Amino acid sequence: MAWIVKNSATQQIDKRDEPYLDDTLRAELEAEIIPRYPTRQAATLPVLHALQHKHHWLPHQALAEAAGFLGLHPSEVLDTATFYEDFRLQPMGQYLIMVCQSLSCELMGHTSLVDALRDKLGIEPGGTTDDGRFTLLTVECLGSCGTAPCALVNETLHESLTIENLDKVLNELP
Amino acid sequence: MSLQEPVLCQRIPTWPWGDPADRHLIGLDEYLSTGGYAALDKALAMQPTEVIAAVKESELRGRGGAGFPAGMKWGFLPPEDGKQRFLTVNADESEPGTFKDRLLLDFDPHLLLEGIAICMHACRLDTAYIYIRGEYHAQAKTLQKAVDESYKHNVFGENSKLGRINDRAPQCYVHRGAGAYICGEETALLESLEGKRGWPRNKPPFPAIAGAFARPTIINNVETLAIVPAIIDRGPAWFKSMGKDRPEGAPPAVPASFGPKLYGISGHVNRPGVYEDDLGIKVSTLIETHGQGMRGGKKFKGAIPGGISMGILGPDQYDAELDFDIGKKYGCLGLGTAGVIVMDEDTDMVAVARNICRFFSHESCGQCTPCREGTGWMYKLLTRIEAGGGTSKDIDLLLELSGSMGSMPGTTICGLADGANWAVRTIVNKFRADFEAKVRKKPHSRLRVLPVGVG
Ligand SMILES: Cc1cc2nc3c(=O)[nH]c(=O)nc-3n(C[C@H](O)[C@H](O)[C@H](O)COP(=O)(O)O)c2cc1C
Ligand code: SF4
Ligand code: FES
Repeated sequence: MAWIVKNSATQQIDKRDEPYLDDTLRAELEAEIIPRYPTRQAATLPVLHALQHKHHWLPHQALAEAAGFLGLHPSEVLDTATFYEDFRLQPMGQYLIMVCQSLSCELMGHTSLVDALRDKLGIEPGGTTDDGRFTLLTVECLGSCGTAPCALVNETLHESLTIENLDKVLNELP
Repeated sequence: MSLQEPVLCQRIPTWPWGDPADRHLIGLDEYLSTGGYAALDKALAMQPTEVIAAVKESELRGRGGAGFPAGMKWGFLPPEDGKQRFLTVNADESEPGTFKDRLLLDFDPHLLLEGIAICMHACRLDTAYIYIRGEYHAQAKTLQKAVDESYKHNVFGENSKLGRINDRAPQCYVHRGAGAYICGEETALLESLEGKRGWPRNKPPFPAIAGAFARPTIINNVETLAIVPAIIDRGPAWFKSMGKDRPEGAPPAVPASFGPKLYGISGHVNRPGVYEDDLGIKVSTLIETHGQGMRGGKKFKGAIPGGISMGILGPDQYDAELDFDIGKKYGCLGLGTAGVIVMDEDTDMVAVARNICRFFSHESCGQCTPCREGTGWMYKLLTRIEAGGGTSKDIDLLLELSGSMGSMPGTTICGLADGANWAVRTIVNKFRADFEAKVRKKPHSRLRVLPVGVG
């Protein structure tokens, strides 16, 4: 929810010595991404994407490092990061199952998928299994309404889902 | 009236011309060997102003939702001042029911790139950003590959065949969004591109004057740009031979609907998918011919004409023509993205309205109170009505709330609230019986007046 203020102030920030934005990634971004834009701030989304792709979520330390790299105040990067659904400010399960709940998918029976996942994984949407393997989320339209219902599992889209083939997709994950 | 040959889908097998099972990614070599980039060469032999004039003459209207005439938008740009000017391509496609741009991105990305290059030449724009929604992971990769190929083919880059524009080498970049529907709104897109939260801007200034990085900027939808090569190649007259003219004798202010259009069809039909046809085909044709009829032989109850922002068509509007005049004629907001969602007789319209309000409440950026609070309250009211706990007063409250939010009542910055407004108002008005059936006629009488014993 874009306008909900997310928990951030007065929060203890876990620090580690090893940077999230390491020298290799820094050099890569400096060469490939920064020259594309007239301001460094414009590279915020690409930088956050790169960090999240590498670490699977965005710890506050990573946001602060990104701010340093972009020449911004950490609060500016936090302000941007909290707005976007895709940026994960908490650790997530190894596999993120994002089931579409918008109109075409509801008309085609997404509810039964979510119910089946609840039963199978023993979690509610928003929850993560105890072994840290799966996080279940319900999301809005994935641009795949013609092959509804559908779900993203990490970066892979699965279309025309039934309870059986979704089960198969999950069982076959490494 | 139906389209003779595919235009946007000329290389993408689509019924009735080809079998979608044969679809594959068109790489640079195949694109070139099938006549690709010829229109760009033709445009480059023309003066930029001639290209704009051709697009104006074609009366091409934007395919992203608002239907604004593309040539007119291009004409709003101020004269060049030697500094950077931008094209931002709207590939944010997040409106429920809409999945048409994805077809082009999946299979024929060079068609978009050719349109981009022609637009940059015509409008003297040196840098293009393709803003693609974050969830389109595979499409972003495909697109990046095509962009790399186009650089090798000197469409963009140091040796670009466009020459230098504003004393710069023309560049084209893919920029990924991060899961926010509102970033499809053009000024929210610009804020997001600049690395900020996607908050729509107050207008004016319009992007053509002060857009990305406060510089002149053109924003167009993927499909709008992808049709431009065909217009340049075959001319405005050919383009206007397709689609639908304004009614005879109507003033030029009435929108004409020329050209082919991608239609998405989803919901309760036998063969959902993206189809190309003339602008102005009937909903019934779309369902019966392209969608192969209602699923399970059920009866048609209603359809969303083009993404859930557009309101709804009722059971007596089965023959509505899908053109830019649909709003006025059939009591909905407009054609939108032409992503049609079809619902059969078993559909509960209270649930449909509830689903739509949850979407808008979730995606509101929160800047304007009527939108942020109103969508949330409507969602709560609808949830209550659906669960059987509503009263008939709630229905009126829904109409009152929805009628007071939006850029047309003048209470919000952008059009997201208008989408929620039109969806709720048209669903309640056209399917009031569904709502009446679920509510109690009288409010709960929890407080009862008891006779007081005196003495
Ligand atoms: C809330 C909202 C969401 C929008 N989302 C999109 C979108 O995802 N894609 C798009 O092309 N246009 C979208 N638009 C329309 C754009 O603001 C803009 O009109 C369009 O990109 C202009 O391109 P066109 O003239 O080629 O259609 C949206 C508008 C609003 C108000
Ligand atoms: S209308 Fe809604 S989405 Fe648009 S600017 Fe206002 S609060 Fe944001
Ligand atoms: S409604 Fe689910 S993908 Fe569009």
